[in-house]
Amino acid sequence: MGIVEIRDLHYSYPNARAQALRGVDLTVDEGEFILLTGPSGCGKTTFCRCLNGLIPHFYHGELEGEITVTGLSTRENSTAKLAQNVGLIFQNPDNQIFALTVEKDVAFGLENLGIPKELMIEDIDWALEKTGISHLRERGTHELSGGQKQRLSIASILAMRPKLLVLDEPTSFLDPLGAIRIFKVLEALNRDHGITIILIEHRVDLASQYVDRVILVSDGRILRTGTPEEVFTLEETRLTGVGIPKILELSKRLNQRGLAFEPLPLSPDSFIEQLERNIPPMDVRRVKKTVVQDLEGFTGEHNMSPIIRVEDVSYTYPSGVQALNGVSLTIHKGEFVAIMGENGAGKTTLVKHFNGLLRPQEGRIMVDGVDVSQVSVASLSRKVGLVFQNPDDQLFSENVESEISFALNNFGFEKEVVEKRVDWALNLLNLEQYRKSSPFILSGGERKRVALASVLAWDPEIVVLDEPTIGQDYAQKELLRHFLMQLRTQGKTTIIVTHDVEFVAECKPRIVLMADGGITADGSTKEIMTDAEAMERASVSPPEITKIFSRLSHHGLPGDVLGVDEAVDMLMRLKEAGP
Amino acid sequence: MSLLEGLRFSRGDSPIHNLDPRVKFLMTLALFVSAVIFIQLIPLMAIFIVQIPLVIIAKIEREWAKSLKGGLFLATIIFVTNIVSFYFFRGGTLTTENVEYALSLTVRFLVLITSFSIFFLTTSPDKLSLALEKARVPFEFNFAFITAIRFVPVLADEAQSIMDAQRSRGLELDKGNFLARIQKYIPILLPLIINSIRRSLELAEAMESRAFGASSTRTNLYELKMDRKDFTVMALSLIALVLAIYVRFYLPPFGPLLPPATLI
Repeated sequence: MGIVEIRDLHYSYPNARAQALRGVDLTVDEGEFILLTGPSGCGKTTFCRCLNGLIPHFYHGELEGEITVTGLSTRENSTAKLAQNVGLIFQNPDNQIFALTVEKDVAFGLENLGIPKELMIEDIDWALEKTGISHLRERGTHELSGGQKQRLSIASILAMRPKLLVLDEPTSFLDPLGAIRIFKVLEALNRDHGITIILIEHRVDLASQYVDRVILVSDGRILRTGTPEEVFTLEETRLTGVGIPKILELSKRLNQRGLAFEPLPLSPDSFIEQLERNIPPMDVRRVKKTVVQDLEGFTGEHNMSPIIRVEDVSYTYPSGVQALNGVSLTIHKGEFVAIMGENGAGKTTLVKHFNGLLRPQEGRIMVDGVDVSQVSVASLSRKVGLVFQNPDDQLFSENVESEISFALNNFGFEKEVVEKRVDWALNLLNLEQYRKSSPFILSGGERKRVALASVLAWDPEIVVLDEPTIGQDYAQKELLRHFLMQLRTQGKTTIIVTHDVEFVAECKPRIVLMADGGITADGSTKEIMTDAEAMERASVSPPEITKIFSRLSHHGLPGDVLGVDEAVDMLMRLKEAGP
Repeated sequence: MSLLEGLRFSRGDSPIHNLDPRVKFLMTLALFVSAVIFIQLIPLMAIFIVQIPLVIIAKIEREWAKSLKGGLFLATIIFVTNIVSFYFFRGGTLTTENVEYALSLTVRFLVLITSFSIFFLTTSPDKLSLALEKARVPFEFNFAFITAIRFVPVLADEAQSIMDAQRSRGLELDKGNFLARIQKYIPILLPLIINSIRRSLELAEAMESRAFGASSTRTNLYELKMDRKDFTVMALSLIALVLAIYVRFYLPPFGPLLPPATLI
């Protein structure tokens, strides 16, 4: 009998018309490491809630079918009882930390279980060590970075010694290096301690390198289950709109053109190993020549008149944290810029200066010839539209239409103009059918689009998006990418703040890297993504494909390859050139 | 706000930090009661002078200075209103007693701020919660207290994000008349409330997942234990308190309470 046994599970939330789970059958064996993936709203989170009894004990509604976890029926056992066997970790680390210090938070579950103090200390030591945060033991929980907080959440669950860990998109708020650290922790727990892991992730590129099995969920059902190679090469997987690991896609495409990758690799290491079996290392100076000439870097089309000029700006928060330290930057009209760097590098602080939310304490910022210190936020915002990360921080109206007209009314547009602009924005973001709906009943991706529409409605010349891809699945990101391209063709200056390297690699903007309140590198996507040293200094990890190519220089290949198409092209030329 | 800022706990290591919170509370209470029962300048000054070495031992000079600075405005108001009201009641003249009285009320205020500072700046909320637990306050209340403190910075960040988002959409909070301004807070309060509801649901789920309420005999990682130092401080505080009461009510120069009316 497996650690999880589910037979024909159906569930619908109270007052919901449609079922969230519609006939799930699954057996998970002890010691498995599983990646559960599927488009947003497919029932992944609902499924997690079933595993530790939150459904049906916390969320009522209708549950049918059989479900036992670690041999216990979730119907007959309370969540508190199940919690000793099944640990559930959520997306937002802030909402699962209760204590004021790290040590106390790890102890919280154990205290609830009534474990004697002496035994508790042993469990806490172990959990902190396994998650690599022993050195933070005495720290206040509010002082931790996002990655550290999420590792603390894992430690706090781990201390209760569960046999099964279930993680619901644990790396959504983290930068790639933070995410890799989490995956490494999970890998070690699975390998060394035999803990069964079910991981829900949109970051399939990284996650698929660690797991044994992938479960694809769509529309409340399990569509497919199998090894990553099996599931991610199916056409129906692609059709659900989930992301496909890039290395897998690359090798599949190469196989179609006559190479032999068997089994399909998932990590850069195994890809290179197999590639060298296909194409032996050689001196290919002539290949390099033809290849490099044909693939010149993408250069944006913009006339070179500066629209934002940041001159030696410094900013220190009242708390004493210096967020910007002598930053200078020029952004031109029509440019597409990505500002990247780890959390706390000063990215958001910088863009908040663009519409005057923050005023430079030292230095000067000119936006379209106007000194930002001289004008109000409202008048600058007409020119610079800032869209924040979390749409829930701004939605408040009774319907989408009035949400979008809010800013227009604030800016004092005429009534007819407001109507026209609302129609235009609804149309632009494909929200026409939700015109009269409350923004609160929409899905996360739709709310994000409403927030975007509510800013674009006044047609600002410069659009700034803060972390637009957080919590978005692959299909939603694709939609956003197309939209950004559309903005570019309209000649808008677009700035995104992000740590989503895969997304940036596909958009190919100019990249500005920040670390410790300063700009550490600035250049085209190719220049920056392939500059390992600069990337590392800003704690940004390059995309998987680029990682491969940066290690293929002994083949005489250029290191600046970002996408699958480009990589296929390059490797086929290499093959054709022959030894 | 800087008055409250000065009362926020900052971690540190000193004999005062390490005192048992119950003993520290008693010590603070002794200082508090003495400050309240005396009305003359000299004993109040004496209490103030006794407090200074405590502040230095606790190494909280900087934070204490901050809270004094925050309280300066109120202290000035206390002094000025007293002086002004004596002046008018007496029909345009003042006696030295009047000035002394106004001054002692001001010093008393500073003494109170200092005693609060010593307590709150050196007592972690965790320890405070342990003390409450010992006082048999139900764990649910205790937990609510800790959670409230835990989420103050989180909520402050969230409120800031909401303000930023709405100001970026052209909301101008400082424009218009009083009623219009109140209305302008709706776009800020609504998301804040809705987010809080959403958050509390997520918190509840996370609590369930950490076996909240699983055992009726909840244990605690830390336990309060009084050592010799704690007993010494407790004894000293009690003696000081008794002494203060004796001096105040039974020694002639400080004699029975003079109502302010006699000063006029």
